[in-house]
Amino acid sequence: MRPALRPIVTLAPLAIVLLGLFGGGLLLGLLQSVGLFALTGSDAFTLSHYRALLNDREFLVSLALSVWVASLATAVSLLLGVTMATALHYGSFVGASRTRWQRTLLQVPLAMPHLSLALVVLHLLSPSGMLSRVAYALGLAPEPSAFPVLVQDAASVGILLAYVWKEAPFLAVVALTMLTRVSRDFDDAARTLGATRWQMWRRVHLPLVAPGLVSASLAVFAYVFGAYEVPLLLGRTYPAMLGVLAERRFSSVDLIDRPAALALALAMSLIAAMLVWVYLRLARQLVGERPVLF
Amino acid sequence: MPARHSASTIARGMAAALIAVLALLPLATLAVQSLARLWLWPALLPPAWSVRAWEDTFRISSGVLPALGNSLAIAMAVTLISLLIAMPAARTLALSPFRWKSLVFFLLFLPILAPPLAAVMGLHVVFLRLGLAGTVIGVVLVHLIPAIPYATLMLVGSFSRLETDLEAQARTLGATPMVVLRRVTLPLLAPGLAVAASFAFLISWSQYILTLLIGSGQVTTLPLALVAAQRSGDQSLAAAICLLFLAPTGLLFLLVGKWLRGE
Amino acid sequence: MAAPMALAGCGRALSPPPAPGTLADLTWPEIEAVARGSAVRFAMWSGDEARNRFFRETVRATLAREFSIQLELVPTADVADIVNQLLNEKSAGKAGQGSVDLVWINGENFRTTRQAGLLWGPFAHLLPNRQLYDEALCARDFGTPVDGMEAPWLKAQFVMAHDTARTPTPPAGFPELRAWMESHPGRFAYIAPPDFTGSVFLRHLLLDFGNYAPGFTQGFSEALYQEASLATFAWLRAVKPLLWRKGDTYPASPQELNRLFANREVDFTMNYSPMFASRAIERGEFPDTVRTFVFDSGTIGNYSFLAIPFNANNPAAAVVVANHLMAPEHLLPAMRVLGGPYPHRLDALTPAQRESVAALPRGVATLPDTILASRFLPEPDAAYLSRLEKDWRAEVLLR
Repeated sequence: MRPALRPIVTLAPLAIVLLGLFGGGLLLGLLQSVGLFALTGSDAFTLSHYRALLNDREFLVSLALSVWVASLATAVSLLLGVTMATALHYGSFVGASRTRWQRTLLQVPLAMPHLSLALVVLHLLSPSGMLSRVAYALGLAPEPSAFPVLVQDAASVGILLAYVWKEAPFLAVVALTMLTRVSRDFDDAARTLGATRWQMWRRVHLPLVAPGLVSASLAVFAYVFGAYEVPLLLGRTYPAMLGVLAERRFSSVDLIDRPAALALALAMSLIAAMLVWVYLRLARQLVGERPVLF
Repeated sequence: MPARHSASTIARGMAAALIAVLALLPLATLAVQSLARLWLWPALLPPAWSVRAWEDTFRISSGVLPALGNSLAIAMAVTLISLLIAMPAARTLALSPFRWKSLVFFLLFLPILAPPLAAVMGLHVVFLRLGLAGTVIGVVLVHLIPAIPYATLMLVGSFSRLETDLEAQARTLGATPMVVLRRVTLPLLAPGLAVAASFAFLISWSQYILTLLIGSGQVTTLPLALVAAQRSGDQSLAAAICLLFLAPTGLLFLLVGKWLRGE
Repeated sequence: MAAPMALAGCGRALSPPPAPGTLADLTWPEIEAVARGSAVRFAMWSGDEARNRFFRETVRATLAREFSIQLELVPTADVADIVNQLLNEKSAGKAGQGSVDLVWINGENFRTTRQAGLLWGPFAHLLPNRQLYDEALCARDFGTPVDGMEAPWLKAQFVMAHDTARTPTPPAGFPELRAWMESHPGRFAYIAPPDFTGSVFLRHLLLDFGNYAPGFTQGFSEALYQEASLATFAWLRAVKPLLWRKGDTYPASPQELNRLFANREVDFTMNYSPMFASRAIERGEFPDTVRTFVFDSGTIGNYSFLAIPFNANNPAAAVVVANHLMAPEHLLPAMRVLGGPYPHRLDALTPAQRESVAALPRGVATLPDTILASRFLPEPDAAYLSRLEKDWRAEVLLR
């Protein structure tokens, strides 16, 4: 094979998936959202579906909710993930065997689809769930309605918990993998030079894990932003997160609603991409260097 | 100093407790719920036990086993296709210099960072015309959209750590390209391949909305059966299906665990 | 026998399917002969696990044994999905290779499919068991004339349930319900439309505020809708703070509301099946002090139907399956397992069948048939339903 051809041949199947399925899908969605390529009726170019979104209160409230849930889920997962990784990393100085089990356990939630965690959260936090029964047994909540509302709630506690449950361990594993790559000698040298743990953490470890964490948490943010099945089970009737709203409108009996649903879904993708870009800019200022993406 | 030492011990203990809760509480609650009969508020423990939910799960007519079969077939197909496409691409991206590399990386990140929902909704009409909607093949195709970028990016990492000198040495010693691939490249890449395959499998396995949109309710996978059971109000059945849903990915991640940790 | 032989080929991929007229020339045994050996894909709402199981186990076996027809269930969480799919197939030009041969349908979905030309028919007159149903009650489906484009199947009627141990006297009407909510804030919930049980609660309110005007079943009247819906939404907004979770969120399905009721989060639940509470008591999900009740002003009931899509692969086999599902031989065992009001005219049955109907288990919580029949209110036109569901989002949910 001629060397110049090699990239083309090896990348062609990938390009078919990325440009054909993903790019093609977006393009088709775009065409339908501006009134072309319609399932029913005649084609006529229009931007009305996008204009309607700007005045669509349900859409705007859903957007705010999605931004809120995705940001908070990412932030809490980062905080808990880094804490767990640090504890495990420093713990391994004391005794590697003791943290081995913990490291294995840490990976268990990674294999759990979010849907299963949504079920667990419902089981634990709903007004007649396990926690409410414990509260009853302790005499704190004489009836289910006396228990604080933690699923299908205004603050989206249930949705947040279902995501943090898996994403915090995920970010912890990412951080640990990076920390393990640091030579032990490096740590020993820093300690011999009299660095306190805090200094080591701040000066040595954080800069090492930060770039990887930025990219991993970006993926977390985007994933939660586009969530569907978790808010379907744990969200309120109104407002719904954007993914749920988009699907609801797409599947409406009235096919006339479909271009509008596609406009909404595309707006959601565009906004996700913009938010990711903003996050990257902020992260660069904080971390000080270009984050490595994976 | 002793005080500080004990403070950090407490912190480590709390982290360990958190890890244990995150890993084990879901399995424990689901197991109890799946065996519970009529477990209403405010009972802390089920008043009676029953294997009814498990019998229903494994009864052919309940539709759970066919859903399990669909899920396994789809996820394995997605994993295989993802690896076949991602491997050559990742090698090129990691090891060969070429002009449009950053563009390719940008395209790889897009499906991860912008939800694929819009693209799949756009594809729907074409899939209908091609007869792909409501078929397993159609579902496999849309699962590739999120699975392939992840698999490719993970393999780029593995290839960039690959010591190509070893391959060159083998070739110098007269090994054919197939032998080099089998004896040198694949063993070196095995951990990375296993991790990438596990993630591709997990992504397809967990997929709900893309399956629902393209499967048109006719391709039932385990997550769809799980949500249906939960919505029908049978919480014990939902818990049993959920444990079944967790088993394959749990086993897979236990197997590739040490490579995932970068050991 | 020339015609059946020619039709026998339509088992697969012969497009387009035969016009209903072709079947009309055949006798019923000839239609059954044509149907032999083919598969029927039946799209059925899948929200009731007991029903799914009964169909997968019992009905499949019966159809295979007696008619050599293989029944494949197409489970669907929402029949609107099937309608959507048929619309897509129509626009994609998939005639004669449809994904569904028979669909359980009624109301707005029937109206949509009929208007969009998605149905094969008229065919109901072909079915011998059609005559067991009350012609007058089944002539319209949510106001839309049926005209034989679908065949009547099951009967449903809206009821509510209370626990006599908690709430000895249930409210007798909407004013009493509101008074009860005021003295018991947070203890009542209705299901969010477009779930059909949530939707019928709204329709009943609409009928109530429209003084049960006969106009509700005679097409859509904007003036009548405006007048009745204004009061309906005002009422719903007024009671919102008194609802479960202050109307912040709503149960998404009757099953969810049943769970809230069983767990004592709310004091009433509601359902489209008059026997649901008895069945829940038998399963041990409700205490045996639970009883169903209906308002003095009546309660909405309807028939659901079986329809054949325009692109069905096997219309003849679909017709045979529909006729079997409408037969006492199917309905009696089905009701014994699943419960539900018996849909046939009793005077059309044989004395033995009448006895079997009388012997159907009713359960402790079910109201007598005489009360249900005397309180039967027909469904308003489907157009009211779509408007009501849409406007409820803007007027109640988003407020």
